[in-house]
Amino acid sequence: MPNDWYKDAIFYEVHVKAFSDADGNGVGDFAGLTQRLDYLRDLGVDCLWILPMYPSPLRDDGYDIADFYGIHPGYGTVRDFQNFLDAAHARGLRVIADLVMNHTSDQHPWFQSSRAEPTGAYGDHYVWSPTDRRYEDARIIFMDTEKSNWTHDPVRHEYYWHRFFSHQPDLNYDNPAVRKAMLDVMRFWLDRGLDGFRCDAVPYLIEREGTICENLPETHTILKEFRRVIDREYGGDRVLLAEANQWPEDVRPYFGDGDEFHMAFHFPLMPRIYMSIRREERLPLVDIYTHTPPIPPTCQWCIFLRNHDELTLEMVTSEERDYMYYAYAQDPQAKLNLGIRRRLAPLMDNDRRRIELLNCLLFTLPGSPVIYYGDEIGMGDNIYLGDRDGVRTPMQWTRDRNAGFSTADEGRLYLPVIADPVYGYQAVNVEAQTKQPTSLLNTMKRLIAVRKRSRAFGRGTIEFLHPVNPSVLAFIREHGDDTILVVANLSGRSQPVSLDLARYRGAVPMELLGGTRFPPVGEQPYFLSLGPHGFYWFRLEPRDRRPQRYGIEDAAI
Amino acid sequence: MTDVAIQADPVASVATVDADVQRLGSRPIVLALLTYNNVATVPAVAQTGYRGLSRSFPDVPLAIVNADAGSSDGTTERLAALGLPATLTRHESPLIELTAVPFHGVPGRGVALRLALQTTRRLGARAIVLLEADVTSVTDEWLERLARPVWEDKADLVLPAYARHRYDGTITNLLLAPLVRALYGRRLRQPLAGALAMSGRLAEHLLLHPGWRWTGRDLADLWVIGTAIADGFAVWEAWLGPRRVESRTRTTDLPTMVAQTLGGVFALMDRHADLWRQVRGSEPVPAIGTTTTPRTEPIDIDVDRLVGAFRLGMRDLAGIWEHILAPETLGDILSLDVGDAARFRFPDELWARAVYDFALGHHYSVVHREHLLRSLVPLYLGRTAAFVVATREADAAATEAALEAVGAAFERQKPYLVERW
Repeated sequence: MPNDWYKDAIFYEVHVKAFSDADGNGVGDFAGLTQRLDYLRDLGVDCLWILPMYPSPLRDDGYDIADFYGIHPGYGTVRDFQNFLDAAHARGLRVIADLVMNHTSDQHPWFQSSRAEPTGAYGDHYVWSPTDRRYEDARIIFMDTEKSNWTHDPVRHEYYWHRFFSHQPDLNYDNPAVRKAMLDVMRFWLDRGLDGFRCDAVPYLIEREGTICENLPETHTILKEFRRVIDREYGGDRVLLAEANQWPEDVRPYFGDGDEFHMAFHFPLMPRIYMSIRREERLPLVDIYTHTPPIPPTCQWCIFLRNHDELTLEMVTSEERDYMYYAYAQDPQAKLNLGIRRRLAPLMDNDRRRIELLNCLLFTLPGSPVIYYGDEIGMGDNIYLGDRDGVRTPMQWTRDRNAGFSTADEGRLYLPVIADPVYGYQAVNVEAQTKQPTSLLNTMKRLIAVRKRSRAFGRGTIEFLHPVNPSVLAFIREHGDDTILVVANLSGRSQPVSLDLARYRGAVPMELLGGTRFPPVGEQPYFLSLGPHGFYWFRLEPRDRRPQRYGIEDAAI
Repeated sequence: MTDVAIQADPVASVATVDADVQRLGSRPIVLALLTYNNVATVPAVAQTGYRGLSRSFPDVPLAIVNADAGSSDGTTERLAALGLPATLTRHESPLIELTAVPFHGVPGRGVALRLALQTTRRLGARAIVLLEADVTSVTDEWLERLARPVWEDKADLVLPAYARHRYDGTITNLLLAPLVRALYGRRLRQPLAGALAMSGRLAEHLLLHPGWRWTGRDLADLWVIGTAIADGFAVWEAWLGPRRVESRTRTTDLPTMVAQTLGGVFALMDRHADLWRQVRGSEPVPAIGTTTTPRTEPIDIDVDRLVGAFRLGMRDLAGIWEHILAPETLGDILSLDVGDAARFRFPDELWARAVYDFALGHHYSVVHREHLLRSLVPLYLGRTAAFVVATREADAAATEAALEAVGAAFERQKPYLVERW
């Protein structure tokens, strides 16, 4: 297997607790997830991204880790995890797992020791201060719930630093023992065969006075060291994915010279995709690429439409944020922090054409796409659940009790299944969509299968075309001699478009989704018409390219 | 000529067709041409067709009926300029077929066929000969052999049988012909040969028949054949010699051809189960002309690539095949030994069951139908490889016997299909 497999891979983000409950206790587990691996293989994804699976008080849905070396009892055991990992590998699926590097739960033994024994072995594992007046330039991320990045500890009688919730104290990466401890954690899971980590909240590892305490050079030094050790000890095919909710130019250093993270999320792209579709113009989307710097050839962006968090609007301007709220979150309940806590289908008013168009963009723009579990069937959300739980409800497998997710009594489920008339499991479930050839699920399988036919989608350059019609997005992806033209109508009405394809004169556009050959590109601008939110994926085949032949084509009928 | 009825605007309205019919009067034999961007070939085909019919039936008034799918290359103008007695009409076609022309070369062929038959009926035609406008090997003898059995009331439908190389027509020989044989009980060599001759009474019967769906993408030819057989009309074949196509538009993309032809058959099976469910056994059809055995000179077929494509299908499409094929069929297919392409075998009975499973999968829509049809392609390529391997050293008679065995297997397995339908 090539070491840069992640460049062509399609990722699937899944909550263990939300996917499938094998033991009937109302919470999904690794045994249940293992049983569903065939479904994921058939969907066509390549790599599963497992949200935090470690023992945790679950005050932040597992991002508050209380033991890096275990599996949350509700999800199973390390043995269950190993069985799952082996079964995934047997199906050709890779697995990466969330790892929260920046902080732990306040229940973690390291923190308990640190607060109880300031001079003990763990006394310096966290960032302590006698005053809460340090690092005042650092912003507060969870501004809905936290008033300060410092919280006073009544045991140690000092303040501890936390960039997120107050129950998540930040680790002190200036302490070599912390860095070694975290590397040992990584080794533990990589030794079991894990294919990599999605590293949570990496910009915040180091604090320095007079800075915003994000993206500091010392942080990069630490991350590069981690990468070097992992490459050296594991042969270079394990992947590190950075979660750095920053502008692309600020994320760029996390790739280093190809010696830091293999991948990083492209956060600002996602809200601009939504904005482009709502405004029915390509400008917001194209514009973000003018702010996206080149990355080393071995690196890759990770792109997504939705994830387990709110639709984050940190990376839009205030004016844009207001527009997005107006457009997508008219119900105030849907707003959370600086985002919108909705799933993909409700954000699109369950408009199938818009959902498909969004996925079209996900699968064709530069980067490796991440599908959030349930979005492949158009699951809905429940914005009346607390925090971000509204988008973390049980996977909807069938129309049976508890959506086929669990045999537990309904009241024991970790969260109620979606049961509203539009998105309820009776209407939206895997079983029904598997049987319906035109379902969203089957359409997703088709899009994924077609994407896999060209490496240009994962590895190609991108060049935007500039047709007069602002509602039409058109771009070329090129990799080697493979040239892909994507044309998408961002508008809800049919649109004509003339494309300047002079460079490709004589090429024959082969529409990949339907396998249809279009008229060759000629002297004139290439004219196309697109239905509402319609799109084409063309491979531009040189006219004189003779396909490899079997010798039976000319008179097969 | 005084009786040439040509419109300056080749798009015929009802009024202009009325005027054409009025002007032409009774035309007992009609040459029908379905065209789409055939400017390079249509003059020769029309002239040969007209000349051939004139020679065979010297005292019978003839006319050409053209149904055009919207040519942009001057096809209809060239046809009009020939000065032959003709009426030119234009029909609507699905946009998708105009941009990606189907294997038969005529976007909206079903609509075109109906339009042509309607016009010939109004001309009082007793015999209609339909030629493909891009098949340039047409000769006077073709017209004689196609039209004669109809004119003499021996046949109502005459289909061509061309002289071909044994590895020509692998879709026809390994899929279409065996299927049509099992479905309709007639051993037709080339059910989708394009050209045909038809009696006026069969045309009338078809035009009045409530079963003909008039959507442009249907393969109406197969329904025509099935209905003619089922309703007791005489179906013949005519041996015509080699067929040469000079087309710039027809698809030669193998998966597309498989999808279009099989899709047509499966759609027909779906809508007209009445035509085939009760049929058992099969019989040859009467033929005119000299039977020719397939040519056997060596040609370059890449068996390794064919088997490689099948192997790739086994690897990548097993997940889709699981939904389509019965478990035992899938098991047998996955057990085929693909290690050595030169010894690759694909038993006829297994092939027949697989194709029937696909027909059933199409009927019950177990997966997206386009996926279903496309996922059959590697199986077809594998079966083709096995056919080439099995016959490469064989003579023409042995090759014919191998094809006969395929047809017989489809017949034997038909109860499997009917029981599950």
